[in-house]
Amino acid sequence: MTDTPGQITLQRWDKHFQQLQRAGVPQPSYCGPLSRHVENGDTRLLKLRYDNSAAALRLWNFLLTEEDRLHKARGDGKKLVGTMKDLGTIPVMAYSFDNLVAFYPDGAWWIPCVMELNSSLLSIADKLGIDESFCPVRAMLGAFLTGAHFPIPELLVCSVGATCDDFSAIAQRLNGLGYAILWWEIPHRRTPEADEPAVKLPGGFSAAKSQVEFVKSELARIKTALEDLAGEHLDEKKLSAGIKKANQVRSLLAELRKIVFTAPLCPLPALEMLIAEMLAIHFCSDQKETIAVLQALLEEVKTRAKAGAGFLSVDAARIFWVNPVADLQVMNLLEECGGRICGTDYLFTHALDIIPQDLPPLEALSQMALADPMVGSSADRASRISADIKSFGAEALIISRIPGASHCALEGRVIGEIVRDKLGIPVVEIEVPPLTDSIQPTLRTRLEALVETVRERRKK
Amino acid sequence: MICAGIDAGSRTIKIVLMEADTLQVVAKGLTDQGVEQDKLTQKLFQRLLKSKGVKRKNVTRIVATGYGRNAVSIADTTITEITCHAVGVRHLVPNAVTIIDIGGEDSKLIHLDKSGKVRDFAMNDRCAAGTGRFLEVVARRLGVDIGSLGELAAKSRRPVPISSMCVVFAETEIIGLLASGTQREDIIAGVQAAIAARISALAGRNIDNPVVFTGGVALVSGMDTALQSALGHGVTISPDPQMTGALGAAILASNQLDEAGS
Repeated sequence: MTDTPGQITLQRWDKHFQQLQRAGVPQPSYCGPLSRHVENGDTRLLKLRYDNSAAALRLWNFLLTEEDRLHKARGDGKKLVGTMKDLGTIPVMAYSFDNLVAFYPDGAWWIPCVMELNSSLLSIADKLGIDESFCPVRAMLGAFLTGAHFPIPELLVCSVGATCDDFSAIAQRLNGLGYAILWWEIPHRRTPEADEPAVKLPGGFSAAKSQVEFVKSELARIKTALEDLAGEHLDEKKLSAGIKKANQVRSLLAELRKIVFTAPLCPLPALEMLIAEMLAIHFCSDQKETIAVLQALLEEVKTRAKAGAGFLSVDAARIFWVNPVADLQVMNLLEECGGRICGTDYLFTHALDIIPQDLPPLEALSQMALADPMVGSSADRASRISADIKSFGAEALIISRIPGASHCALEGRVIGEIVRDKLGIPVVEIEVPPLTDSIQPTLRTRLEALVETVRERRKK
Repeated sequence: MICAGIDAGSRTIKIVLMEADTLQVVAKGLTDQGVEQDKLTQKLFQRLLKSKGVKRKNVTRIVATGYGRNAVSIADTTITEITCHAVGVRHLVPNAVTIIDIGGEDSKLIHLDKSGKVRDFAMNDRCAAGTGRFLEVVARRLGVDIGSLGELAAKSRRPVPISSMCVVFAETEIIGLLASGTQREDIIAGVQAAIAARISALAGRNIDNPVVFTGGVALVSGMDTALQSALGHGVTISPDPQMTGALGAAILASNQLDEAGS
């Protein structure tokens, strides 16, 4: 444990960083004062509050240097694969090769927030006919056109089918701009017929065996494309090793989530947990370092939990949060209002489950792809959310809508009603645009009211 | 001991002074909201104290609620309007289960459990189409006083559907309707139906009887019947609907005194 747990400003982090350096606390080469990222335009960082541990600083620096890593990988002769929409499957395959680096161009959806709309990425998308009626992922179009954020990958892979309609439209627009995309289809996961061979998927859902076989054939196609790009055959042994490494990330996150969501005092703030969970799908373009970053974070959290140290009060309202937020500041706001995160579904809960290692690797990855709660019915997703709410002991549910995201418009109410009926806990829907400054008073009212409701319900 | 509830809303500031032990209302009043809302609040507070001969030192707990709650410097604490309206309405209508609150800038739907605690809630505050603001816009456009809207709507024979989802576009639609000779009574009734439709969409299938209607818009006659028609449920207007938030805040101030005492 580096200090008494607390949340500090960016300015304090810079002073704290100097103290860490003077104290000889080892930091990886990509670490440094966070304010240097503000100089690069990430002005939103000035308004966030950060966990004060060295492990959290490392996490932030790791996240904020991903573009540097991608450029370095290109310089080192590695091949870049832009994986889109699948949320956690293709990167596992790509990182099984020695000379491939995968990343999610979709991650550009946070740039407008982090740069406080100064990046012009959204206005570029507007001019391409992809306006605010689409999800903020449309910022990706601007990132491709300006080339100012990530190097253009050698191969672009995108899942389509049972994915968000708006994202498919954005990716098709990208394709139309001349960026070749290798599409692969993920079918809508349906309940198997009574007499149909079925497969029990990791995470608890079931799928028809024929659907698993279909996805397997699609992934085999992607595997061939990756082999062509890498100039290397990916045999079962290598792919299994890749799965094992991905599982190491998932195991670390599972342990981290369990401790953070269930400890009497919250040992890690919501914002850092959001960033950490995201590593499960994209590895921040360095899988090995992801493991090291998560190990450091887990060690910190374990030490804090053992010492009974943490943030917020013991009576903080225990909130389960659905969907990631476009404005990171909202995670700070929840805590200011007296809530803490006790469970999440940031659209990729399947990527937090362990990939079966006792199956042929392509079969295992196919099952994982179909286990994605987003490719099945909203009722399926709601049942997984309900189960997780129970296991983490959350007292209320917040469904955070992403403006323009087609799944949010359709799913929010369904999930809310199912959870309300099943568990009888309060449910609130909010909408979080890339910058919430102008709507903060109304967001605050909703969050405070939910916290008040939870506290009142505790009284006999 | 006296406690006070202050509801600093977007259009008006409401204050209730209450006997902490008996929950009897000692005084209540309201004033228009303005730029210097803290000064306006203090002025209204002093006026109420003076009207009943209550000394400031005898007001032992003040809870502020509403959109401007954090700007009320005389408040000991703040509680959201969701909780305050729930407490205020339940005090006046003890069997209330669903509360519809339509204010100047937002609208809320609050569900209570059997014991009167908030079960959950939904809010519309990103669109003026489900709020009192819509009525203000239409009153201004039609050149009538907002207080006479209900009376005029009652004369409507054929309410005209307002199809725009946004007040700004709806205003343009109204200009077009006036130009085409549509009766203003029919436009007003159409606007009331449009507001009620937004509330119905907010509620979804989540409505349980009894439904109580509160907030400043409940004072506009005809809005309750528009809501009944949109929701398919009976709707009762809360007694003193504009004051329920402040009343709830005063009751919660009293509860806090009890808790501190025990």
